[in-house]
Order: sequence, then C-alpha cells, then structure tokens
Amino acid sequence: MSYTLTRAEESVAADARYPLGESERVEDDPMRQQVHRNVFTGKLDEVLNSAVNWGRKNSLWPYNFGLSCCYVEMTTAFTAPHDIARFGAEVIRASPRQADFMVIAGTCFIKMAPVIQQLYDQMLEPKWVISMGSCANSGGMYDIYSVVQGVDKFLPVDVYVPGCPPRPEAFLEGLQLLQDAIQEERRPLSWVVGDQGVYRAEMPSQRETLRDRRIQATELRSPDSL
Amino acid sequence: MSHASSHSPAQGDAGADPLIEALRQRIGDHALSMQPTLTGMPVVWIDRQTLEAVVRFLRDMPQPFEMLYDLSAIDERLRACREGLPEADFTVFYHLMSLSRNRDVMLKVALHENDLVLPSVTALYPNANWYEREVWDMFGIDFRGHPHLTRILMPPTWQGHPLRKEHGARATEFDPYTLTVEGQAHEQRALQFDPEAWGMQRERDGTEFMFLNLGPNHPSAHGAFRLVLQLDGEEIVDCVPDIGYHHRGAEKMGERQTWHSYIPYTDRVDYTGGVMNNFPYILAVEKLAGIEVTERAKVIRVMMAEMFRISSHLLFLGTYLQDLGALSPVFYTFTDRQKAYEVIEAITGFRMHPAWFRIGGTTMDLPRGWDALVQGFLDWMPRRLREYERTMMENAIVRDRTRHVAAFTTREALAWGVTGPNLRATGCDFDLRKQRPYGGYEQFDFEVPLGGHGDAFDRGQLRIEEMRQSLRIIQQCVDHIPAGDYKADHPLTTPPPRERMLEHIETLITHFLQVSWGPVLEPGESLAMIEATKGLNSYYLTSDGNTTSYRTRIRTPSFPHLQQIPAVMRGGFVPDLIAHLGSIDFVMADVDR
Repeated sequence: MSYTLTRAEESVAADARYPLGESERVEDDPMRQQVHRNVFTGKLDEVLNSAVNWGRKNSLWPYNFGLSCCYVEMTTAFTAPHDIARFGAEVIRASPRQADFMVIAGTCFIKMAPVIQQLYDQMLEPKWVISMGSCANSGGMYDIYSVVQGVDKFLPVDVYVPGCPPRPEAFLEGLQLLQDAIQEERRPLSWVVGDQGVYRAEMPSQRETLRDRRIQATELRSPDSL
Repeated sequence: MSHASSHSPAQGDAGADPLIEALRQRIGDHALSMQPTLTGMPVVWIDRQTLEAVVRFLRDMPQPFEMLYDLSAIDERLRACREGLPEADFTVFYHLMSLSRNRDVMLKVALHENDLVLPSVTALYPNANWYEREVWDMFGIDFRGHPHLTRILMPPTWQGHPLRKEHGARATEFDPYTLTVEGQAHEQRALQFDPEAWGMQRERDGTEFMFLNLGPNHPSAHGAFRLVLQLDGEEIVDCVPDIGYHHRGAEKMGERQTWHSYIPYTDRVDYTGGVMNNFPYILAVEKLAGIEVTERAKVIRVMMAEMFRISSHLLFLGTYLQDLGALSPVFYTFTDRQKAYEVIEAITGFRMHPAWFRIGGTTMDLPRGWDALVQGFLDWMPRRLREYERTMMENAIVRDRTRHVAAFTTREALAWGVTGPNLRATGCDFDLRKQRPYGGYEQFDFEVPLGGHGDAFDRGQLRIEEMRQSLRIIQQCVDHIPAGDYKADHPLTTPPPRERMLEHIETLITHFLQVSWGPVLEPGESLAMIEATKGLNSYYLTSDGNTTSYRTRIRTPSFPHLQQIPAVMRGGFVPDLIAHLGSIDFVMADVDR
C-alpha cells in the first residue's frame, strides 16, 4: 500500500498556500522498515499502532459545523432513524478544540473560506476532514463568482462524499470509509518513538472498487409504480 | 419554434385605476408613465426627484401601502426589447404592498450610468436599509442619506458589483481560489467588527460594553450567520446581524441557465422547502409563456408543496425546541421527516431537492399506489402533533422561555417586511393562499391559524397548527384528485411530450431545440408570489425574448426577518435572543440566495 507522508511545518512563509505542510508519496509501509530493523519492536509497533487506531476510529467526535443543505442531511444522520451512534460518532462538539473531524457539509463560499480555515486551525491533531456533497467536493452546480470550487483548494480532505445533497446513508458510508483510512494510518506513537511524520494510507477509490457491481445492474426500476 | 402567446398585458388599461389617478393628481400627469407587464400590479415609472414624495404619499394615504415588499435593481444596458420604456442604464424598483387594499404597486426609477444616485427611503420604510445595501453591493448604486451603506452579501474585500452585466458570472472565469497565510490574516482582519463604524459606543456611564461575536458558525445560528452583540452584562444594548456567508449568486445564475434548467437552482434557495421553491418560479414562467396548467397538475403541485411545508415546519419545531434546551424533540420530529421523505421520495425520486415541477406541469404523473402511501403519512401525523403540543408547548419551561419573549406587533412586523407565520403570529390574517389564491388553492378548504401576542411561543404554536391545516389540504388532494394529464398541452411545455417527437423531422428538430437550447419566451416581465414555508416568496422575471432570463429577482422571506432582529432584541437578554433565533425559522440560503 502507498502512503502520503506529511510533516509538521516548522516555520511558515507569509506567501505559503493552504493546505500547509510538505507532503510526499511513500511507496513502502513505514512499518515494514521497522520490521527489517528489528522483528520484535516492529511487531510491537504494529500491535500498538493498530490498537491506537482502533480506538481513534471508533470514537470520532464530529465538529458541529454546517454550511448549507448538506448539513440538514448530516443532521438527519445524527437522529434516531439513522443513528450515527452505531459508529461511535455521535458526540457532536460545539468547539473545534474538542472535535476530531470536521464535515464540510455544504457550499464553501469565498466569504466563508477564511472562517473555515480558522476553525480548522483551531482543531487539534489528529484531525480529519470529510467533504460532503458536490459543492464542497468541487463547487458542484455552483460555478459562480462567490463559491470556492471545492474545499480542497485550501483544506486537506480525507473523504469525499458525492451527492447533492448526499443521503444520510451516504454520509454514514463516508464516515466508515474514514474509519477504514484511520485504521491504516501511521502516526508517531510518542514524541520519542520513530518517525515523526504522519503517514496517510492511499485508500482505493470507491468508484473503481464498485465498478463491477455497478455494471451488473442492467434493469432499473420503473418510476411508474412504488 | 412556434409561439402561442396571445395574452394581453394585465395592466393595459391603467387609466381607470383610482390609485394611479390619485398619484397623477399628486405629482402631475407628465411625471409618471405606466409600463404594461404581467406582474399583476401597476408598474409606474417616476422621476428620481419625485421618488420620496410618491413613496411617502403611498405610505401615508388612507388604506396605506404598509410594507416595502421588495427593492432591487435591473442593469438595463444590454436589454434589447424595451420599447416604450424610459431611457435607462439601471432601473431601481420599489415593490410596495398594501394589506388593507390587498394589492401591490411597483415604482421604477431610471438611472444613468454616470449618475447612479438615489435618495434613500430608509426614513420611510426601515427595512429599505438592507435592500439598499444589497443594491449598492450588487450594482454599485449610491443611496444618499443611507445610515451605513456598506457591502452586505459580498466580502468586505470584494472588488466589483456582481449583478452588473460586465461582471463575470462563473468562478472558473476568475483565477482559481487560493488562500495564503498572509491572505488569511488579511481576511480575518477585514472580518473584525468595528463598533465605531456602526455608530456604537464602547462604554456607558463608565461601564465598558462587551462585544460578543456570535457566528458565523454557531450551533444556534442555524447556518453561516453572524451576529455581533453589544452587551451590558446579559442585556443586549444593540446588535448587528452580518449576512452574506451563504451567497450563492442565485440571481446571477438565472441569467445564464435556461428557463428550464434553472429549476434545480430554485430548490436550493430555501433548502428546507424543496418543490415549494419551484412553485413561484414556475408560475412566473408560465405567466410569461401563457400556459394554463391542467387541474390534475395543480392538485399534484399543491399536495407536494404542502408535504414540504410540513417537512420544513417539522425541522423548525425540532430545532426551535432544541435551541430552548429540549434535546429530544428533534429526534422525534426527524423521525416524522423521515416518514415525509419516504412519501416525497417515492413520488419525486429525491429527498431534499427534487426539482420536480416543470414548465406546464410536473416531471411525471403520480406513481401507482401513491394514495395509500400518502394516507399512511396523514394517519401518522396528527397523533404526533398532539404529542408535541402536550409534551412541549404545554410544558411550563418552554412557556416561560418563550411567552412574551421577542414579541412584536402587526404594525412593527409590516414596517420591517415580516411575512408568513411570523406575521400571522401577531394576529394579522394574511395568508396568500387565502388572500390571493394561486396555483389552485382556491379549491381547498382550510383555515388560517393566527396568534395573538406575536411572541416566540406563538410563532412555535402557530406552525404546529399550520401543519394540521396542511394535512387537511393533502387529505383533500388524496380524496379528490382529478383525472387527466399531469402536463399542459402547450408548445412551450418543457420538456415537450416525447410521443410527439417521433412524428416527423420538424417535430424532432423542435424537440431537440427545446431540450438543448431550451424554450424561448416572449419579452416581458412577470412576477409570481407564493406563501412559502417561511413567508412570502416571489420571483420577478424579466425576459428579453431569449432562452434565459434577463434578470431574475428572488424575494425571500428570511432576508427581512433577519433584518428585524436588532429592533426586536434591543433591551432583551442573550437567552431570549437564542429563543428568538429559533422561532424565526430561517435558513441562510433563503437570506443570501
């Protein structure tokens, strides 16, 4: 599996563009290098890493942040019929400092972008971003002067959920994909142990994973009856 | 492409109108000219010099025009079809409404490019304030005497006026968006609130005020809405709402999408309202096209619009009670919304934004078995509504938190342009579905619930009552749905019937053009107003005889509702403000468009 390595920036130039931090692609699992060095500590690292990641992915606290229509569907996922508590992500935080991930649920406006950046900066590591809906993904149907064409113009996005707006189920799927990605992540276990960079696994695209299944559908249900 | 437009201008014979006669006597015959339109109201062109006098006259006459319903502008510089109209580069229009006369009038003032100045009417109608700021922001027209003419929708650092014709529409026409560390610091500085700029004191009697910034992201701000509070302890001395964090350029979008392909954009204006938003737009287009829809289409439309009214009010109820501190109701109301969505999705194929209305009817007919499904929802809801009343509205804490909180009178409501349930909560009996029935509402039997105190409690209770009436309307739709077509038989109906397409090459070409380029509408102006979920919503369309609209003006109810907040909250307490915000029922897309 290939990884993207991001290191914390030490000093930032004024003309540096968001998202900050150098990223590079790494083909090898950073764990493997450990294994070659010493089989025992390598194994220990792997066990520890996967235990920590298991804890992280099953208690993701979302930041209570909404922009437009998508937020209604996101909220719907939090209520009884969809019950996001099944995935351990029901503890909505009103403060970015207590939240683990931020869902960009709605259109990202030029007037709002600096505010979003400010809120993202206030979140503590480890933190993730789900881009929910076409507007946040790419601007969607709003190719218009006031809209940023995709929140990834300045934020690092982990999962993109398509739809306008996506159904609550789609959001829940996005959350589970984020959980899968977190399980594969490699972060420093301590400030003295190992490499201090963040290795994010490059997860397979769902469009390609599900292609075969999608092509198999040849007959669509008629809208004339329920 | 063929046109079958034989409609005559609605206000052709304006000479017989006593209102216009009175106006003529007041300012002189030569000072005004009439424009025939399909807006359903007299459209009067007047001079800039007489504007204040005319507005004052209309506001102070017996049975006055109590409300400034809308104020915006049109960039006329590229308009080809404007025979008989006074010469103008920009036109500013004032849409006034009289509830006692149950009629409207529109005043238009022509302006020239090198002299874009008008007297402000904020002294006559307080809600002109934001509208004039919007016109300045979007068109660069100056209003003399305005208390604080600054940008309202665009960021303070923005260059240009987006609704001018020379301003680019697409984001992709500009350089791709980037945010640098320096740029971020610059934008943050520009967002800082400066009390002096708003004429606010920093202290009183030696006590310093606290300026509290609520939003643009706050759990009870219902979206990207910012409110700066000037506080003396818990007391709100003054506050300044700051909007524009949700401006999606819906009006500019109307100038590039075809008449047909603009429909999905309307869904997203009041995004809890779904097809309710299609309604005024489609009605205005049908007026321009001269289409009369079938009885069945009318009933289907009313039924779906009322489904969305219920769904929107349920969202309101859940979040309103949540803002008051009751955390569980939202789980119950969202369960009900899920039931509503099951019906909506089965019929339209989509949950929030079905874009299901079409020019001339609806997308498709109701599916087989729809009636049992809708009936299931109708049987489910009444018990639930009763439960909400019993557990919440009769709850002592909810009552204490909302009774006599953020109350305003009918007079104040009208002065600020407040409409819909918030206006009816003050006891004013004005529901457009009764007063000016549209789209087939005259055939239905329902009551208009009214409040008495105009406080946060009445605004909540009234919406529960409205849901009951909506259920009653939907029941009548289920019981008496007429047979027939779901779409009118008219050449401008879009998309045209597929069966006709394959007759011969001519019909194929017509079909192709109408689907790819879209229908061409005759030049003219039309306006359709509806009682939307949150108040009066209207689309004022100007056609220049093209496949797209020349100017699309969307008047939304939430814009004036937010503008009124300082007037209601001065002297109130912070928790009351949260109760008030919950009771207004607004979404930011409905404010900023």
